[in-house]
Amino acid sequence: MNIYFYIIRRMAYMIPILLGVCLVIFFLFNVVAPDPAMIMLGKHATAKQILEVRKELGLDRPWFSQYLDIVKSSFTFDFGRSWSTKQEIVDMIKNGAIPSLTVAIPAFIIATILSIVISMFVAFYRGSLLDKMTVFVCVALMSLSSLAYILFGQWFFAFKLGWFEISGYEPVFPQIISYVALPVIIWVILEVGPDVRFYRTVVLDEVYQDYVRTARSKGLSEKVILFKHILKNAMIPIITSIIIQIPFLILGALLLESFFGIPGLGGITLNAINSSDFPVIKAMTVLSAVAFIIFSVITDVMYTLVDPRIRLK
Amino acid sequence: MSERILEVKDLVVEFNTDRGRITAVDGVSLELNKGETLGIVGESGSGKSVTALAIMRLIASPPGHISKGEIKFKDKDLLKLSIEEMRKIRGNKVAMIFQEPMTSLNPVYTIGNQIEEVVELHQPHLAKNARHLKAIELLKLVGIPSPEKRIIEYPHQLSGGMRQRVMIAMSLACEPDILIADEPTTALDVTIQAQILDLMRKLQKELGMGIIFITHDLGVVAEMCNQVAVMYCGQIVEKADVKTLFANPKHPYTKGLIHSIPSFDSTSGMKKEKLPTIEGMVPSLFDLPPGCSFQDRCKYATETCRGMNGRPKLEMVGSDHLVSCFNPIN
Ligand SMILES: Nc1ncnc2c1ncn2[C@@H]1O[C@H](COP(=O)(O)OP(=O)(O)OP(=O)(O)O)[C@@H](O)[C@H]1O
Ligand SMILES: [Mg+2]
Repeated sequence: MNIYFYIIRRMAYMIPILLGVCLVIFFLFNVVAPDPAMIMLGKHATAKQILEVRKELGLDRPWFSQYLDIVKSSFTFDFGRSWSTKQEIVDMIKNGAIPSLTVAIPAFIIATILSIVISMFVAFYRGSLLDKMTVFVCVALMSLSSLAYILFGQWFFAFKLGWFEISGYEPVFPQIISYVALPVIIWVILEVGPDVRFYRTVVLDEVYQDYVRTARSKGLSEKVILFKHILKNAMIPIITSIIIQIPFLILGALLLESFFGIPGLGGITLNAINSSDFPVIKAMTVLSAVAFIIFSVITDVMYTLVDPRIRLK
Repeated sequence: MSERILEVKDLVVEFNTDRGRITAVDGVSLELNKGETLGIVGESGSGKSVTALAIMRLIASPPGHISKGEIKFKDKDLLKLSIEEMRKIRGNKVAMIFQEPMTSLNPVYTIGNQIEEVVELHQPHLAKNARHLKAIELLKLVGIPSPEKRIIEYPHQLSGGMRQRVMIAMSLACEPDILIADEPTTALDVTIQAQILDLMRKLQKELGMGIIFITHDLGVVAEMCNQVAVMYCGQIVEKADVKTLFANPKHPYTKGLIHSIPSFDSTSGMKKEKLPTIEGMVPSLFDLPPGCSFQDRCKYATETCRGMNGRPKLEMVGSDHLVSCFNPIN
């Protein structure tokens, strides 16, 4: 089947999924959550004030038309203005996306490639001291809280050694590196531990397959066997595990962004939650749903590139 | 007498398992001549595959290792070669077909790619185009219809019989001196089995290679082999040329195997009633009895067999006929 046709069709499936997401949002914010007028006005508001605000927010209208509002803003991505900063939400997201992605994309790519390379390497030397040490280091890395890395990194590398800025953000080229480098490094450290552990078992599962023995019986070198025969087979489960991380990527690492003062989507979301800024929370929810769908289509397409047994349906 | 191309001497292969160390192959000696076929027969677990893998030096290590012996291919002891030298022999001079046709090919590469790969490795002078033509040629040779089309197919698009043909094509790509076929047809149905055996015989005639043919089916041995070695619990219990072995088996185990070959009564056209089988089970390698390993299943067993004389040694009982039994059949 044609791959473009497949992509278009999968994108069309986004419509019912988004409608469902809107329904959940509507249910959470308009039915379950406390009345936003009360939140905005505080305890001492009069009944009249509350009525006015409710009218202003459109909360006095029938439920169905409120649901349609959410649907409309999801598809046009026009969520209006933030309740707390009064900015256009679209602009807030645009401004926040760039700093977020400047940290997330390099971190994610470096961590993924590094993890795959390390796990292939230790699988090659399986059972050796090197292999055991690597697994040990991975577990050790994983058992420390991310806070520990953040605080230690800021104190030692930024404060003591002065290699990086402690926190903040400056969107111009050479300077940006000293702000972004430390969060990227910490992100990589946080991700490499669990990734290597998982990818290593994936690669080791392949090492004992019959086709590997066949490859050896042909006289191929271990390097070719590992990087040609095993890697492509191991990519199948690895791709799956990568997709699971994507939504977190979109919202940025909440903790990292707030500790390093990076004005990204993570910070925006965190502030919105703290100040019950419903429109912003809704926008972020829709955004991550859309991102998730897009990336799952990418994953499926990548599967078919790697595994001939999978046909696009 | 034709040229000797392989000589295995006193091969010992051990595995370290969770339950302790086992000797899966215990002092096996084999000889193979150019253009001939040596059959290795024996029940499941007797060490046939381990012997074959050891010749290729493909024993998974850990848990296994070759702890003793000599594998002489022409003038070289394969066990003394460096891994690089061994790699030049694998797939090139000595090739192997495995017992598991369904899983022996890499699922994510086309069969053409997998055949061309071995040609590229051992015949680097061939251009890409020539390699491709050669792969098509090989697929044709093993009887795969419209090979130009099938060459771009993936293993999952082929049946088990077709996959085994692809494996054969791959193993023949460099016209090896020795082909080790480990139960090449066990996983396939009977008609396909006959086709593949025919094919192997035909190719052997054309290419003049020596074949080590592993099976637990003595019927197939009678059809395919010149020499036969019968294995039991990691040892060779009897070794002879095919005619002698079938006409005059000396080991009770060999005799039992021969009697359990299904055959039709030619007068009535009916299957003979109640096939005799060898009673009892193969003992576990973890606790072999002292003396002969076959004693518990042998109706000729005496005190000598159960005694403290150790396992019986292979001894000459006729020209080119060896048996390891304290009480050989007369
Ligand atoms: N990787 C391994 N680890 C531990 N033991 C093994 C391993 N490979 C083989 N063995 C043991 O070696 C013995 C011989 O096995 P082998 O595969 O050679 O039998 P076989 O004669 O080929 O049997 P089959 O007819 O079932 O193929 C068995 O007892 C088996 O348990
Ligand atoms: Mg076997």
